[in-house]
Amino acid sequence: MSAPEAVVSRRLVDATTSLGAGPIVSRLDGTRHADAASLLDRMGWDGGASPLRPGDPRAVAFLGRVSHHLLRGAARSHPELVALGYFLRPTELERLLADRAGRTAPDTVVVPRGLVFHVPPANVDTIFVYSWALSLLAGNANVVRLSDRTDGAAARALVDAVRLAAAEADPVVARTQALVGYGHDDAVTAALSEACDVRVLWGGDAAVHRLRGFPLAPGARELTFPDRFSLAVIGAAGYLALDADGRDRLAAGLFNDAYWFDQAACASPRLVVLVGDDAACAATDADLWLRLAATVDRRAYRVETGTAIDKRVATVGLALDGLACAVRWCSNEVVVVDVGAAGFSRVHAGAGTFQVLRLPTLDALVPLLGRRDQTLTHAGLGADELTGLARLLNGRGVDRMVPVGQALTFAAVWDGEDLFEAFVRRVTVRPA
Amino acid sequence: MSAVAAGPDAATATATATAALDLPDLGAWFAAEPFSVPQADKERALLADLNRLTAHHRRACAPYARVLDAFGHGDGAATSVAGVPMLPVRAFKTHRLASVPDDEVFKTLTSSGTTGAAVSRILLDKGAAALQTKALAHTMRAVLGRDRLPMLLADSAAIVKDRRSFSARGAGVLGMMPFGRDHVFALDADMRLDEAAVRGFLERHGNAPFLVFGFTFMVWLHLYEPARAAGLDLSNGTLVHSGGWKTMVDRAVDPATFRRRLRDDTGLTRMHNFYGMVEQIGSVFLEGPEGDGTLYPPSFADVVVRDPATWEEAAVGQVGVIEVVSALPTSYPGHALLTEDLGVVEGVDDGPAWRGKRFRVLGRVPKAEVRGCSDTVTVPR
Repeated sequence: MSAPEAVVSRRLVDATTSLGAGPIVSRLDGTRHADAASLLDRMGWDGGASPLRPGDPRAVAFLGRVSHHLLRGAARSHPELVALGYFLRPTELERLLADRAGRTAPDTVVVPRGLVFHVPPANVDTIFVYSWALSLLAGNANVVRLSDRTDGAAARALVDAVRLAAAEADPVVARTQALVGYGHDDAVTAALSEACDVRVLWGGDAAVHRLRGFPLAPGARELTFPDRFSLAVIGAAGYLALDADGRDRLAAGLFNDAYWFDQAACASPRLVVLVGDDAACAATDADLWLRLAATVDRRAYRVETGTAIDKRVATVGLALDGLACAVRWCSNEVVVVDVGAAGFSRVHAGAGTFQVLRLPTLDALVPLLGRRDQTLTHAGLGADELTGLARLLNGRGVDRMVPVGQALTFAAVWDGEDLFEAFVRRVTVRPA
Repeated sequence: MSAVAAGPDAATATATATAALDLPDLGAWFAAEPFSVPQADKERALLADLNRLTAHHRRACAPYARVLDAFGHGDGAATSVAGVPMLPVRAFKTHRLASVPDDEVFKTLTSSGTTGAAVSRILLDKGAAALQTKALAHTMRAVLGRDRLPMLLADSAAIVKDRRSFSARGAGVLGMMPFGRDHVFALDADMRLDEAAVRGFLERHGNAPFLVFGFTFMVWLHLYEPARAAGLDLSNGTLVHSGGWKTMVDRAVDPATFRRRLRDDTGLTRMHNFYGMVEQIGSVFLEGPEGDGTLYPPSFADVVVRDPATWEEAAVGQVGVIEVVSALPTSYPGHALLTEDLGVVEGVDDGPAWRGKRFRVLGRVPKAEVRGCSDTVTVPR
């Protein structure tokens, strides 16, 4: 353990022994609370107004310090934390706020919702910060429940960065923002659900179902991010028109989209659709996987034996189910499954498993998509074609269409929801 | 297997029945003594049987045929045992795979499952079920001799009471009981040594050869420890035990320690560990009499250790993922299975007493870290 980590851990231990007992543990200072009521009490939360305002400079300053610690510390060895660090830079946040302010009518006063309760997914280390940061920027008090399983190296680096920033932050910010853990305690979940103004549930479907069992107050609202599926769509003619450099850049973009979180992020493409005539699709297919495999090699990405076995099980399963026409096992890292008229599977197969579907036209994609489908990354397709597709879909599915390489770029509009918007209330004030 | 003499009527009957389905003539496998067939002869005969089984299951099990087609295995025969197409063992947890019609399914074997985990289902018709029993008997003869000996079970009678909900332990105990007689369960319902029962057993049978069977951790925790404390003498016993060394290694008891302590403290010297799995009937890999932990495949089965990077067969001495092959799975496509265990072949035909591949099981392939928002592992474990 490095010196700073050891210091932080000692502080945590000291804090734990001197600051109360109970099932709820603060991940920031080790304080323990017997129940939700005492946690909220310590936060100064009485169900009234938040002490922060939307765009509060104290909040921006705090998030700026989080960004600073992420970009300078151990976080640098985790690309997803670097991306988060960039998102939280004061200039970025100011720009987001200015954009929102510009779209606010003169008769509207924007205020926080109040208390927001976040339940992030257990195994995606960093995603909670995005929703928490936007909620804080909106002026809310926040309770974020971190699972005990959130303990990867990236998660720990992240919590350390937040902890350091909290120590430097304005006391009002430090007091009203709680990152906590608390085993299996339904009473706490029930109480926090009852007390909050907004509840944010991340997936999967089973977690959302379970947590929806805990009622919200009648005026409260909920945001859910359940199981999602994403795909890449490549116009074959457009691909073939690219020169070698262009194709290599595309392969690099696809690598980033797919392999960063071992293809487990909601926005990671697991299906690749080639659009064009037979010859163009065949030529694109023959070229694309070779370039992707070369990129995988260059980046020295390797799957563990356990993962390779998982991929075998998954692809054999696709064959047993009659969905896989052919399984092309290029390597443990790149497995391509040809799917066709029988459909494709939205079950996550494993790091570097790509179902491939060939369609004659983009419109043919419409009936195959649904509510589960989130991100469509594209290459070789024009703006009009994409807008046309979005209109044809008309809400059937797909929340965002972005170029290949940008699948994992978090944006304030996520899953079709403007998060910042969800975290504020717009009060209409019309004088006489 | 033309080189060995077959027993008359039974072998002919089996041959006639299986020839009708173009299945291998399995009776021939039981004619030779277990662990006596040189590797080259075994591989030649086994390859022929495995190829016939691949063709049989392709015809009889449509989902299996889809896997062969999707992975590019044509109709042609494999030219080596390692070339026979394999299924991952977990396929039997996620899918119901049968090469016989439903009304011919006689018995369904299931693996034990921890709560919530999917369970393997292995479908046997009458012929396959009979083969399984015959195969186990044939293999065990090598260590138990031809007579049925008095048997001490390192478990509690409770484990076999409820016929409807079986754990692997229950199935294992029930499977082994036919090899012994005058059975005594060494543990009471609270998993404590029933000292009176064991002393009674030893008074009646302890001065002549007897059998002890149990799962490795059960034998260690619930038989060895109390037997040592009570000063019991197990020196005429032959112990057959299974179940993996993981929990034992967590307690710092490796195979050598296990063997030494049992010998020193209870007099027990004849011990045979075995490795097997419900997904491949009859595949019981037994520890050789030299007792160094290396295992040998029975007559009609074999192991192929595979390099996990390339999936090619690993060299002798190279650690890889264990594949098991067997001529017995006729009612379900289980004749070539990739396990989730790591192992290494240490030698071939070079054992002091037994022929064939000598290998070691090193433990489970480590579980991959699950990433992503989903709270369920979508590929069931």
